[in-house]
This record gives sequence, C-alpha cells and structure tokens, in this order.
Amino acid sequence: MNKVQKTINNNKRELVTLLGIFLIYIFFTIMDSSYLSWANFLLILQQSTINGIIATGMTFAIMTGGIDLSVGAAYGIVIVAIAEMTVAGWNPVLSLIIGLLLGCGLGLINGLLVTKLKLQPFIATLGTLDVFRGIAYVVTGGVPVVGVPNSYRGIFNAKLPNGIYVYVFVFLGVAIIMGIVLSKTRLGNYLYAVGGNEEAARLSGVNIDWVKIRAYIICAFCASLAGAISLSNLGSGNPKAGEGYELEAIAACAIGGSRMAGGKGSVLGTVFGALLLAALKVGMIILNINTFYQYIVTGAIIVIAAFFEVIQNRLESRIKKRD
Amino acid sequence: MSEAIRFEKINKYFPGAHVLKDVSFSVDQGEVHALLGENGAGKSTLLNILHGIYTEYDGEVRLFGETVHFKNPNDAIMEGKISKVHQETNVVKDISVGENVALGHEPSRAGFVSRGELNKKVNAILKQLGCTFRSETKAGQLSAGEMQMMAIAKALYYDSKIISLDEPTASLSMKETENLFRVIGELKKKGITILYVSHRLEEIFQICDRATILRDGSLIGTVKVADVDRASLIRMMVGRDVDALATRTKPCMATEEVLLKVENLSGEKFRDVSFELHRGEILGFSGLVGAGRTELMRAVCGVDHRKGGKVFLRGKEMHFKNSSDALKNGIGLLPEDRKTQGFLNLSTNIDNMAISSLKKYMTGWFVDTAKKRKNCEKYIELLDVHPPKPDTLTANMSGGNQQKVIIGRWLSADVDVLIFDEPTKGVDVGARVEIYRLIEEFVEQGKAAIVISSDLPEVLGISDRIVVMYEGRKTGEIERSQMSEELAMEYAMGGKQHE
Repeated sequence: MNKVQKTINNNKRELVTLLGIFLIYIFFTIMDSSYLSWANFLLILQQSTINGIIATGMTFAIMTGGIDLSVGAAYGIVIVAIAEMTVAGWNPVLSLIIGLLLGCGLGLINGLLVTKLKLQPFIATLGTLDVFRGIAYVVTGGVPVVGVPNSYRGIFNAKLPNGIYVYVFVFLGVAIIMGIVLSKTRLGNYLYAVGGNEEAARLSGVNIDWVKIRAYIICAFCASLAGAISLSNLGSGNPKAGEGYELEAIAACAIGGSRMAGGKGSVLGTVFGALLLAALKVGMIILNINTFYQYIVTGAIIVIAAFFEVIQNRLESRIKKRD
Repeated sequence: MSEAIRFEKINKYFPGAHVLKDVSFSVDQGEVHALLGENGAGKSTLLNILHGIYTEYDGEVRLFGETVHFKNPNDAIMEGKISKVHQETNVVKDISVGENVALGHEPSRAGFVSRGELNKKVNAILKQLGCTFRSETKAGQLSAGEMQMMAIAKALYYDSKIISLDEPTASLSMKETENLFRVIGELKKKGITILYVSHRLEEIFQICDRATILRDGSLIGTVKVADVDRASLIRMMVGRDVDALATRTKPCMATEEVLLKVENLSGEKFRDVSFELHRGEILGFSGLVGAGRTELMRAVCGVDHRKGGKVFLRGKEMHFKNSSDALKNGIGLLPEDRKTQGFLNLSTNIDNMAISSLKKYMTGWFVDTAKKRKNCEKYIELLDVHPPKPDTLTANMSGGNQQKVIIGRWLSADVDVLIFDEPTKGVDVGARVEIYRLIEEFVEQGKAAIVISSDLPEVLGISDRIVVMYEGRKTGEIERSQMSEELAMEYAMGGKQHE
C-alpha cells in the first residue's frame, strides 16, 4: 500500500465531509457565481471560526464518550470577564490570559463533576451551563459591558496585509495544535482508548479521571478562546453571548464523524464539519434564503451526515468482502 | 432419525477473510451435536448464520427439510423455532426472570402485559428444568448458572425445537454444570435437538452423540463421539498432535525473594486473605466461580477499594490509587472478560498492544506510530498472533488471538508481576498451550505470575503453588509436591474448617 492510498484509507470520513463541502460549493456556485470567489471563501472561514474553535474542543469531550453542554455559557462568562477587565483598564494581554485561565477553571469544574462525583456528563454540564450563564448575568446585572478598548480588540481583529483577519489564523493554529494533541500525543492515544472501552482502558493502567479532566479543560479552553475572539470582533461583552452554541458545535462534530459514544472522530473532521456548516450558511445568505429555512436545511444536513455514516460503513464492509 | 438441520455449502466472507468454506453437514433430530474447532475455526460464525444474526452468506440452511433464511434473530426464534443460549448471556438485570424470558413478546390482555399469565407459564417451565428460582425473581440476583437456565427457559418458552449452547459452562460452577447436563439430557428425551459448542473436551464425551469438527473455516468431518478418543478429536481440531493438558515444560524457577506480599486483605467479597508471591513463581488461585479471587486481585491492583490489610511490593508497602498507579509500579492485571474489560473495541492491534506502554514509543513530545507498529509486529511474531496483521481491529479477531494481543500489551509494558484472570477462558486447545508457554517464559525472566483459574487441571498443571479460596476466604495453600485434584477440591468446597 503506498502512502497516498494509506492516507485516503485512514481519513475516509474526513474526505467524505470534504466532498460534502465541494458539493455545497458546486451547488451555490451554480445558483450564484459570486459564491466562488476568494472573498467569499474568506467570509466562510471567518464565519466558521467561532464554531470551529468551540467544536474542536467539543471533539475532545465527545471523544471520551461524554459531552459538554456548557461551552456556550463558558464562552459567555469569558466574554463578560475579559470585557469587564479591559474596560476597567487592565492590560489587554493580561486580561486575555486571565480570561483563558478562567475558562480552563470552568473546564476543570466540569471534569471534576464528571470524574470525581461520577455525574453523567450530559447532566453535569447541563447544570454548569445554567450556573455559568447565571454568573455572567449576575456579574453584569444582565447588561452588556460596552466600551472594550481597541488595544484589546486589535489582538484578534486586526487584518493582515493579505486581507485575512488574525483570528482566522488563530482558528487554523488551534485546529493544527489540537489535531496534533489528539493524534500524536499520549493524551490523544488515551482519549481514543477511553472512548473505545473505558473499563478496558482503566484496567490497562490508563488514568481515566485525569484523561477526562484534561478533555473537559481543553473543551472549555477552546470555548473561552472563541469567546475572547468574539469579544474582539464585537467590542462589547453580552452576558447572553453564546446561547445555543453548544448545539452548533456538536453538529460540527457529528458531521465531521465524531461518534457520540466516544472513541471515534478527529479534529480535521470537526473542522471540515464547521466549514461545511459555514459554507451552507453563507450560501443561503447570498441566495437570500429566509433564516427560518436555514434552520431546516442545517438540521437536514446533520441527519444526512448521520445517515451517510451508516451507508459508508455498509459499503466498506461490502468492498472488503470482494477483496 | 430425521434431519433437524442441514448446512449446504455455506460460505461466509468477512472484510479480508473467507471464514467459512463450503461447509456442509447435518444434525439429526433429538441428538446432542458438538461443534468443535479452535478459536477462529468458524463455529460462532456458523451459529450466527443459523440464528439469523448474520444474514449475508452463500449456501443454504435447511431446518427439517425446509430451506430457511432468517432476517434477524427474532425471526429465527419465532418462525424457525430455534434459539441460541449465548456465551455471555444477555440479561436485563433490573427486570424479573419472567420479563426477561418474554421480552418483546409479553402475553397481553387488552394491550396490557398480563404478568400473572406470564409468571404462571414461565414458572411451569422453570419447574420442569428443576430451577429453584422463580419467574418473579429479579434477574440481577441470579448466579451465572441460573442465568444460563433462564436462557434455556426462554428457548422453551418460545417452543424451540433446536437450541444451540455456545460455551455454556465457561462460567459455571461444577454443580451448576452437572445440573445443566441433566437438563440437556431431558431436553434430548423430549426430542429437542441441541448444538453444543465447548472447548472442554471432557464435556463432549459426557453428553454429546456426534461431533462436527471445523478447522480454519473448513469442515474436517463429523464423527460419532463413542468411536473416537480425546487425542484424535484434538488432532482433527488442530491438525497436529497437541498435549492438551496444562503441563510445565520448565522446572520451577521460584526464588526466595518475595516480590508481592499481601497481608490480611479484606474487601466487599473477600476477607483476611494473605499470600506471598516469589520472584520466578507461578502462583495459582483456585476455587469455585464466585470465591472472591477476581475481587481480591482487583483490590491488590487498586482497581477496587480495599477495606483493610496491607500490600507490599518488593518489601515496600503500597497503596495503589488505581490500576494506572499499579502499572507504574510494575503490576498488571489481565481481566477475565476480554470483551468488556480486555481489549479496546474500536482500536487496532497496534493500539491495543501499545496502550499500557505509550512512554516507550515517544519521540520528543509525540507518540511515534512507527515505533508502536514495530512493537506490535514484534509481539505478533513472538506470540504467534493470527492473522498477523497489526492494522486489524482486535474486535474482529478470534477469542484466543484477542487474548494474545492483551498478553502482548502487558509484555510490552515490562511489568514484574502479571495477574492472569482466567487466561484461557473461551480459548481453544492449541492457543491454550501457547498461553501456558508464554506464562512460563514470562516468569523465566525473573518475573512472577498469578493465575486465577476455575479449570482445576489447568491450575494444578501450571502452578508452582496454589492458593485455594472459598467464599471470600483463603482455605488452603498447596505446594506442588502435595497437589492433587482431590485436595484442591476439598479446599475449594470450604476445606477442613467446614467439616
């Protein structure tokens, strides 16, 4: 087997998602040729950044066989926290770092609830979702924090000479680093093992709790980074920010091939999933399709992706039989 | 006698493998017919075809002269009147025996499940089978043997004419096994046809009329059990002569040095157990199923909490927080249930072998896949894993080879003490002997092994010394020179203290 063949074999699911993106591209280009432009491509990248980063983190939580429903709320808390700090005149970089650390702390809480108290991830993070959101409201009194200084906004919202925003590169950087973490490090190996068969992994000497805790920290870290970026784009910290983002992130993971029971998936797949959702959204905006219909289409795509997974598995076993 | 089952040129393909090759044979009505072969010979595949679990195959299955092709297991049970008692019995533990039996087909009155009618019917069947538990009993309270009986009751509930038993005695105590054989005899009298899969050849001679032998997916032949002896059956199964008995090929290598010492350890299911494990020693743990051996070892490794007592490793007192901690200190546990506790279902052989020793394959910060592969190839060769493919999912291999992959995992991890919990459960004769050799080679390197086994000849054959447990207590310790089945059995039944 040569290298190209091997790469294709090992990344089948990702390639299928990529194919989906191509089909969407072809469809919208036929409908409106302006869809196929560099500027539009950049727009899709920009549109996918927030969800893409959150979903990258979500991939880790899902990989363990768990889920993190609190990402949108963590995102909101971090936005509010950084906004408060920078408006109070703190150093923007310091505020950013504190904000991200705060996010990691939120992830640690989720991780501890899931491992030490042995709560179901769904329930535990459903609870922290409300708690985190509530804290964001309490801190701000429910009113957006306005007047975030440009010194902070410039961190991610600057444009490079080639016309690409810094945050798009941050997205790509996070995707690459997290992709490497999942596929090349010991933690990554353990994550696949824990998701595949937790009991077997435990008896193999894998420290399950520590693996899971790190997964939830990474997940919340990604959500807070997305929040930090969003704050620099918008310039105001709304305690409501990020509502419903958890579902979009889960959708990106699912489209990208993450197995909800854990043990299967990849960052590349998730990134493709997020790009696919963004490509769809941008296309529908260009075609002026009513937002209400956009929901229906997005939902249908998720179902189709799930169905495709089933078909693909069947096809594969048939092809192998012929060999 | 008429033909109950006829297989006609059955062929079955799996991804990359031709697992059944032109298999044709027949089973007479009312006989107990053994299906023999090594792991991976195709027995389970054939049963899965018969019971509608695999629906894609070439060839024909005829039941009582009629060609059938079941769409799913339920179809096989309801339409074909043919039931399977699984290797690992499928039990919903939170509901009653009766509800388990009738699951999905509860007798109903005006849309409501009629529990009274159900229990009456199920209790009648249970009485026939000589069971002491009742339809109303919670299924979770049953012992392994009783669950087996429940599964047979289920087959009778659906009026099955053919019942397959896949390794039914693997987790049964001696008494339960005897009871099972009695029941099989009675089913036979009623004209019910039994297909019987087991790796324990003594059982075949005890209860089977004829045996069909498969090897590597091909039919080797069907023989009358009365006409053959043990050695010739084994020869047909493995294609060569194998000493099926567990025996030592190397002298005792135990030294004076105590590697692991357990003092008055107590837990939920055992109490006050003490023993010593010497460097170079194979220490057997004998006893009946449920004697607390597994629980004891889990507590030693820190998987479960202990209530009291001390564990010393190389003379130092240890408190393992979890098995990760135990692994760091050089103790590994090969669990009894491969499927749920042993291998990683979604992982390849490479990852399954590497998971406990990832530190070995690091290049800088990263796990080097090439090194993992190399390690896997090394152990595939050393342990003679078949098929020798690193990239195959372990879940797709046969039981014996899965076990070898897990052994490879622990050998990769360079542990000093390895605890084997029922290492040959569900493993065929040929692979068993290889596993015994591997254990010997392991201790030869100055390490030490504990072997928990409910198979008395096995544990007597390969151990330097055995500890016998009964209901959570250590009832005896037997040196190699004093070993006998009688003595071990006596201790396993409670020992002298009970008389």
